[in-house]
Amino acid sequence: MSTDPTGTPPPGSPPPPPPPPPQDWAPAPDAPAGPDEPAWQRLDPRMLLVHPITELVKFLPVLIGLLVAGGASGTGPWALLGVGFPVGFGVLRYLTTTYRVTPARVELRRGLLHRHTLSTPVDRVRTVDLTASPIHRVLGLATTVIGTGSVATGEDDRLLLDALPREQAAALRGRLLSVATGEPGPDGAAGTTDVVPERVVARFSPRWLWYAPFSSAVLVATGAVLGTAAPLLESVELRIDEEDLDFFSPALGAALAAGALVLVAALAVAGYLVLNGGFTLTRQESTWHVARGLLTHRETSIDVVRLAGVSIAEPAALRLARGRRLTAIVTGLTGSQQASTVLLPPAPRDTVVAAAASVLGAPEPASGLLRSHGRAATTRRFTRALIGSLPLVAAVVVAVAAGAPAGLLVLAALVVLVALALAADRARSLGHAHLAGHVVARSGSLLRRRAALADEHVIGWNLRATWFQRRAGLVTVAATTAGGDGQVRALDVPEDDALALAQAATPGLLDEFLEER
Amino acid sequence: MSQLRDPAHRVSPRARTLWQLEAAAEATFTIAVGVVAALFWLPGGALRWALVGLLVLVCAGLATIVPLWRYQVHRWEVSPTAVYTQRGWWARERRIAPMSRVQTVDFAQGPLARLFGLATVTVTTASAAGPLQIDGLDQAVALSLVDELTRKADLVEGDAT
Repeated sequence: MSTDPTGTPPPGSPPPPPPPPPQDWAPAPDAPAGPDEPAWQRLDPRMLLVHPITELVKFLPVLIGLLVAGGASGTGPWALLGVGFPVGFGVLRYLTTTYRVTPARVELRRGLLHRHTLSTPVDRVRTVDLTASPIHRVLGLATTVIGTGSVATGEDDRLLLDALPREQAAALRGRLLSVATGEPGPDGAAGTTDVVPERVVARFSPRWLWYAPFSSAVLVATGAVLGTAAPLLESVELRIDEEDLDFFSPALGAALAAGALVLVAALAVAGYLVLNGGFTLTRQESTWHVARGLLTHRETSIDVVRLAGVSIAEPAALRLARGRRLTAIVTGLTGSQQASTVLLPPAPRDTVVAAAASVLGAPEPASGLLRSHGRAATTRRFTRALIGSLPLVAAVVVAVAAGAPAGLLVLAALVVLVALALAADRARSLGHAHLAGHVVARSGSLLRRRAALADEHVIGWNLRATWFQRRAGLVTVAATTAGGDGQVRALDVPEDDALALAQAATPGLLDEFLEER
Repeated sequence: MSQLRDPAHRVSPRARTLWQLEAAAEATFTIAVGVVAALFWLPGGALRWALVGLLVLVCAGLATIVPLWRYQVHRWEVSPTAVYTQRGWWARERRIAPMSRVQTVDFAQGPLARLFGLATVTVTTASAAGPLQIDGLDQAVALSLVDELTRKADLVEGDAT
């Protein structure tokens, strides 16, 4: 109803004014305009349906205000104008946005008064992500985001095509990624979507939902519960008086706490399901595809050439549930762009290890035995944990000496116990190895992770040692790389082992800097 | 059993004086802040001035000794195939990058460094985990090093990632 005025013209009858060469309306991917140059194309005309709806949602508060005001003062037509604005914006956006893909560049033009042209060389394209909101999915459309790994990631500077028909978007992705890697791929010819069948490496199973309450989704859920509960409690508090306090027994408190826990867990599961429902990790030719999302469907692609390694996250909570998480270390994708490097959400350990083995081409880096860092590194874990807990213990002791209840000493003991447990776990986690052409390192306890980086992606070494470390014969060795956090770090490695690792991964690089002891 | 040796070259001896000057400026600032804070928040009397005295002593000591220590550690070397640097004082960091992965070579000189005829050469790779930096190089040495590195890095094909 709300889209009636201009929202749904039959696709065959374009609104007259701006420059509409007829082929714009039937998107033929490579209809040439000049001798070589492909024509500027519009996005899919079905966006004329999507834009007004999304704009309407954005304008909803204003619209409601207008309708209420209009209803009160009896000025009906004004309300209609209010509907017309967002719809008009949508149409305008559609009419002023054009794109083209030449053999060398991808270009996007948009804006009416403030014209904006974005252009990027095809061989700089690092990722092509397809996203489809529920509206897009109903209409068979997909938003295409072309990533170049550039630092400028402002909303206006992204190459975002919103939206193309699903098949056309997939074809564009195949073409851009094959050009970017310099491999002969399906070139330009229209309709080359079906090339090599995809090989499915991992697929969502309802069993995965078990891991949601042990993942970071819980933090989000807790935040949501607290965020909504706090104002509620405030308003409830006003009504609770002294006579109600008898009603508040420990049993009720426990029940409330249990209820909150169940609620948080349920929310975490729901969030996990919405984000990761229908997850698949597939390999097609030289590209890894990750598809996920129950409502909004997201597809990201990672080129094999750019896949430098993987990182298996093994946080303590997830380890309790025997789960793991898998992300890729992708050349050219660092910091905020790492959202598109998820390879598996929290999932069973065996699934993650198998997927990692498949991605890396060998099982050892994901599951092989690591070399432990020995006694000195273990000692360091314990001294550091104890020194870390020292200030709190000292504060408690001083407080008790000054007359605080002696029961506080239990707290101090508890802190020391937790510190010792963490130290023991951190010491057990430490490990590194050179396995099947990969530098593998593991460290951490609450946020433990095991990272594997392929030798050919090691672009240098950082060896850092404090005076204490030098005295203990240890060094923190990091293999640097052009993606992820920029490095894969092995903490407190014995000096000889560090050297052996570097020599195994980059043979010859260190030779001229060595001396006999 | 072999081990990694120090890089071959030290930086310019004048770097010690430069670093001491810079450290002295920082120390003066810290002491000034400390004195103001002491005047406002500490009770008067002997304790206040004992603490300020301690602060002055620590700052002066650090400003004198740390640059000397740093000079003992800072070293660099360029082989036909790799760049090797060592820096730091308490924590010593050695960095090695193959010549084939060098992306940019920067030459930088602050106003004070220019007075001393010193310069900093920074070699970056595609990694976000930190460039290789050589502080306190003699200006002439730094310029020829930049030339040499640029020439060698140019010889390698590819985008160095």
